[in-house]
Amino acid sequence: MRFVHTADWQLGMTRRILGARPPKEAGGLTGEAQARFAEARLDAVRALGRLADAQDAAFVLVCGDVFESNLVGPDVVARACEALGSFRTPVLLLPGNHDPADAACVLRRPDFVRRRPAHVRVLDTPGVHEIVPGVEVVAAPWRSKYPLTDLVGEQLAVLEPAPAGTLRVLAGHGELDVLDPDDDEPARIRRDGVLAALADGRVHYAALGDRHSAWTDAVDDRIRHAGTPEVTDFDEIDPGHVLVVDLDERAARVTTETVGRWRFVRHDAALDTDADLDALDARLAALPDKERTAVRLALVGTLSLRQRSRLDDLLAGHGLAFAAVEVVEQHSDLATVPDDADLHELDLHGFAADAATELFAAAAPAEGTGDAESRDALRLLHRLVGSPR
Amino acid sequence: MRLHRVRLRDFRGVHDREVSLAEHGVTVLQGDNEVGKTSTLVALDLLFDAADSSRRAEIRAAQPAGVDAGPEVEAEVSTGPYRFVYRKRWLRRPRTELHVTAPAPEQLTGADAHARVTAILDETMDRALWRGLRVEQNSVVGQADLGGQDALTRALDRAASGPGVARADPSVDDGLIERAAEELRRYRTPSGRATGELRAAEVRLADAEAEEARCRAALDAVERDVAARDRLDADAAALRARKHAHTAEVTGLEDTWAALQSRLREVDAARQHAVLARERADAARERRETRDALIAAAEDEAATAARAAEAVAAHEAEHAAARDERDARRAADTTARARAGEARRAADAAERAVSAARDRAELADLAERLRRVDEAAAGLAVAERALAASTVNADALDELEDLARDVVRAEAARDAAAARVELAVPEDAGELTVVVDGETVVLAPGGSRTLPVAGSRALSLPGVLDVRVTPGLDDAGRDDAVRERSRALAEACEELGVADLDAARAARRDAEDAARRADEHRAALARELAGHGDAPALRAAHDAVRSRLPDDGTPTTPADVTELRAAADTARADAEDAAHRADEADAACRSAEDTVREADTRAAVLAERAAEARHAHTRRLEELDAARVAEPDATLAEAETTRLARARVAEREHEAMAAALADDDPDTVEARVLNARAVAERLSGEGARLEREHAETTGRLQAAGLAGWHDQLAAAELELDAAVREHTAVARRAAAARRLHETLTRHRERVRRSYVAPFRAQVERLARIVFGPSLALEIDEDLRITHRTLHGTTVPFGALSSGAQEQLGLCARLACAALVDPSEGVPVVIDDALGHSDPERLARLGAVFTAATSAHGAAQVVVLTCTPERYHGIGAATVVPLAPSRRPGERAASERSGPEVIRGAEDTPAATPGTVLDLPRTHRAG
Repeated sequence: MRFVHTADWQLGMTRRILGARPPKEAGGLTGEAQARFAEARLDAVRALGRLADAQDAAFVLVCGDVFESNLVGPDVVARACEALGSFRTPVLLLPGNHDPADAACVLRRPDFVRRRPAHVRVLDTPGVHEIVPGVEVVAAPWRSKYPLTDLVGEQLAVLEPAPAGTLRVLAGHGELDVLDPDDDEPARIRRDGVLAALADGRVHYAALGDRHSAWTDAVDDRIRHAGTPEVTDFDEIDPGHVLVVDLDERAARVTTETVGRWRFVRHDAALDTDADLDALDARLAALPDKERTAVRLALVGTLSLRQRSRLDDLLAGHGLAFAAVEVVEQHSDLATVPDDADLHELDLHGFAADAATELFAAAAPAEGTGDAESRDALRLLHRLVGSPR
Repeated sequence: MRLHRVRLRDFRGVHDREVSLAEHGVTVLQGDNEVGKTSTLVALDLLFDAADSSRRAEIRAAQPAGVDAGPEVEAEVSTGPYRFVYRKRWLRRPRTELHVTAPAPEQLTGADAHARVTAILDETMDRALWRGLRVEQNSVVGQADLGGQDALTRALDRAASGPGVARADPSVDDGLIERAAEELRRYRTPSGRATGELRAAEVRLADAEAEEARCRAALDAVERDVAARDRLDADAAALRARKHAHTAEVTGLEDTWAALQSRLREVDAARQHAVLARERADAARERRETRDALIAAAEDEAATAARAAEAVAAHEAEHAAARDERDARRAADTTARARAGEARRAADAAERAVSAARDRAELADLAERLRRVDEAAAGLAVAERALAASTVNADALDELEDLARDVVRAEAARDAAAARVELAVPEDAGELTVVVDGETVVLAPGGSRTLPVAGSRALSLPGVLDVRVTPGLDDAGRDDAVRERSRALAEACEELGVADLDAARAARRDAEDAARRADEHRAALARELAGHGDAPALRAAHDAVRSRLPDDGTPTTPADVTELRAAADTARADAEDAAHRADEADAACRSAEDTVREADTRAAVLAERAAEARHAHTRRLEELDAARVAEPDATLAEAETTRLARARVAEREHEAMAAALADDDPDTVEARVLNARAVAERLSGEGARLEREHAETTGRLQAAGLAGWHDQLAAAELELDAAVREHTAVARRAAAARRLHETLTRHRERVRRSYVAPFRAQVERLARIVFGPSLALEIDEDLRITHRTLHGTTVPFGALSSGAQEQLGLCARLACAALVDPSEGVPVVIDDALGHSDPERLARLGAVFTAATSAHGAAQVVVLTCTPERYHGIGAATVVPLAPSRRPGERAASERSGPEVIRGAEDTPAATPGTVLDLPRTHRAG
């Protein structure tokens, strides 16, 4: 029996790094990356649907977080339904922590119910669901945002071993306790329970969601996180895939297929010399698919006024090509220290020279912290001198 | 900049004139008023500022009157590395020409030429300084605004930095502060409020925060609704459980309650039975009591009848006493009445005695009156008779009197007319007797008597002589008249029956007396008859009185009457007293009668009552007997006892049943049943409320789901993030701009303060020539002189005399000109100043001019004046006298003929300046 295991589509997600809607008076396409990113998530759904059709999968199992929130707008719902309607393999949607089956559940909302394609089924009630004869899915949907128990364990506890000839797939959402040993979280999935259920044949595969990175249990490779089919953040490991699972009562053969096209790249760089700047420039230039790539830079080092200006120009230039380029402040330690060359370059005389000297002195990072305002003032002076009336 | 020459054509009053100026030092242009000195200055300004197409007021004012020609100006100028000739004509065939000779030849015309010159001047010359160093005509020479002059600043900078410090390209900081201020103005207004980009960023940030808060609130509301829905679901389930449990409890209670209710009904029946038995017992008791009452009433009535009979008997004695009393009263009354009659009669007798006495007195009076009446009637009759006898009435007497007077008058007339005979007796004779007309008259000695002779008169002395005297004829007539009269008198007397007048008079008197007497008698009659009418009536009265009196003839006196009256009064009083007593006795009698009547009535009443009481008693006895026949007393008592016993039995039965029921506490059961029903109702209400809230919450959630709050919040958060970043960036830029501006300004101020020293040194050097070595000046950062100290006395600039201000202002300008680098310098132009300076100071100012311009490459100074003596003290001055430049037709003969064109002033700078050329108007350029 073959099916597609995926999760965490997070439809309706926006990313801060991709910018805001442009202010009314400003022109430009400040928010266009956001729109392309949203489109990419739908593209990933269509791609995995095509894949399932092509691989003749019995169904596509989405283990939670189909939507970014229960409160996404009707436009998001409508487009999601369109994407789901673009293929014919049956789809099972499990409510996760972002779209729990509570009173506001988007999967029960009239606009979703009305548009839902016939082959899409919502697993919003816990328990065993027969999908096709001989195949059952044990659903552990989230019924609220803050469950107080191990929802998966709860289902497994009351489960009898599967009848002979019946394959059972567990559909759960949440972190395994081994992945996030946070004792305070009561909803952690107990790995021991899952392993036991796999061992005694109550279920034959544990399909999990919530972790955007792909993950396979070291003891039993039938416990898996599929990861998000399209990247959502910089800290995700190997996202952008779905799992094609060939299952029988003894084992699962899992193939990883790529559907995501975006990349969130984090780059740490030390900047002290012009060579470092060159390297950064080259590094950014070498990245492919810039329009679908968001770059987060953590920069450490000390630059002169001129180098800082160069860095600014460099980043601004790349920012035009990439979906986003961001220097993350909390992970950066970049000092701008004006040097004598900067002062000389200004070529000032008289009181202006005196003023510049004073600003240089203030900007120099004596005692570790330079005066940011004076550095800004110096940069402004640079600009004013460089652009005579 | 240096001016080499200036040529004006058809400019104001100047027809065509060229003036060459000394390249260094002072050039004095002297000439009379309106010769065109100031025009030269105006022309230079227009040449540099106004395009040839301009028609502004100064240009139109520059057109000469009555000439069809546009004003034209040409100047040769060197500035920086450039040297050029620049010419412009306005209004008529406008034209601009530029010939640059150095550093590279250049030929331009029109707007290009104008732009080129403007560029050259901007590049090489401080035009503000050019204005600042000028002193206009007719204005007090005050302080020049030198603080912002770049050329001066650079010069001072050089001076302040000390010699030897070379600065590369000093133009870099040109306008740097201005650009920094401009940058600052992008973010903040001069008062420090945010504006422009910064303001927009702040607004965007505030808007984004508000939007984010709005979306978050909406999202939170949805979250709360979700939680509420969960809670409502749980509550509804719990409620259903409670309802189920409660229904079982209610059913049990209702069953118990139904059983209790049937028992309640039984107890009620027993209670009703007991009540009925009690009622019957009460009825038997009442009948017995009625019988008892009947017996008692019969006894009461017997007693009442006895009491009534006693009362009748008791009243009999009282009745008899009343009658006795009445009889006694009647006897007393009779006696009193008799005594009163006697007394009345005695009083009447006394009254009569008094009346008789009074009649007698009246009779005497009436008799007396009758006598007096008779007397008066007799007298009246006599008098009336006498009156009737009298013939002489009053009229007749008057007639007689008249006749008598006529006689007398006739006699008097006669006597008056008649002769008189006077008889006189001598003194010594004795007494003489004379008879006159028969009458004897005795005349005494010395006596005389006159006698009229009316008729004949006869005198006789008896015995001696008789004398007859007869009157004449007339006298006789008179005497006849007398006689006539006398006769008439006599006839009248006779007629009246009297002898003469005297007799008549006597008769008259008698008649009057009689009349008087008659009146007196009549009066007496009237008096006496008063009250009686006439005499017969009086008499009748008298007779009546007499007839009344018993003719006892007893005289009566008033004393008797009084006595009799007193007796009569006493008798009357006695009679009244007796009558009074009789009345009292009568009243007492009547009262007794009444008492007797009352006693009679009472006796009757008592008798009636007694009869009634007897009758009632009889009837009651009949009733009692009838009742006893129907139901004997004993039967009644027995029935009472029996029924009472039955009632008690029934009541005990009821009490026993009620107590048995009370042990099962039906009240509590009822309360519990009622409570259970209320609880059921409340649970239903609770369920309805939960359903309602559930529906409401669900409705809100459905609406919220379609609102897409997550998307809105995400967008708002993105916008907020962008706004925060933008605001941070703009705020940083704004802070940087402020910091830069502040730093630059502060340093410029500091530098300016350092500029003051060299500037002051230069000004003081020149001013000491005028004011002496003790002079010291204070100069502020804007290079203004604030105080002057002379001989230790410090005075503010504004408090100085106009002359001193003028001299210091001039020194400052010349100091400026001396300080500024020759390549950057501009000419100092002084248009007829120093009007406030005295000759001594003027002389010293001359030295100042020289000192300021003596250095090599010193500034060009141009002085325009109509009073050249003011500037005679300037040793090195080049003097250029200006004469009027008139058109050919009006040219004065005295002017020199033949223009002398001198160009290339730089060739012989010492000789050519001070030359004025009136050029021939043979050719017009353009």
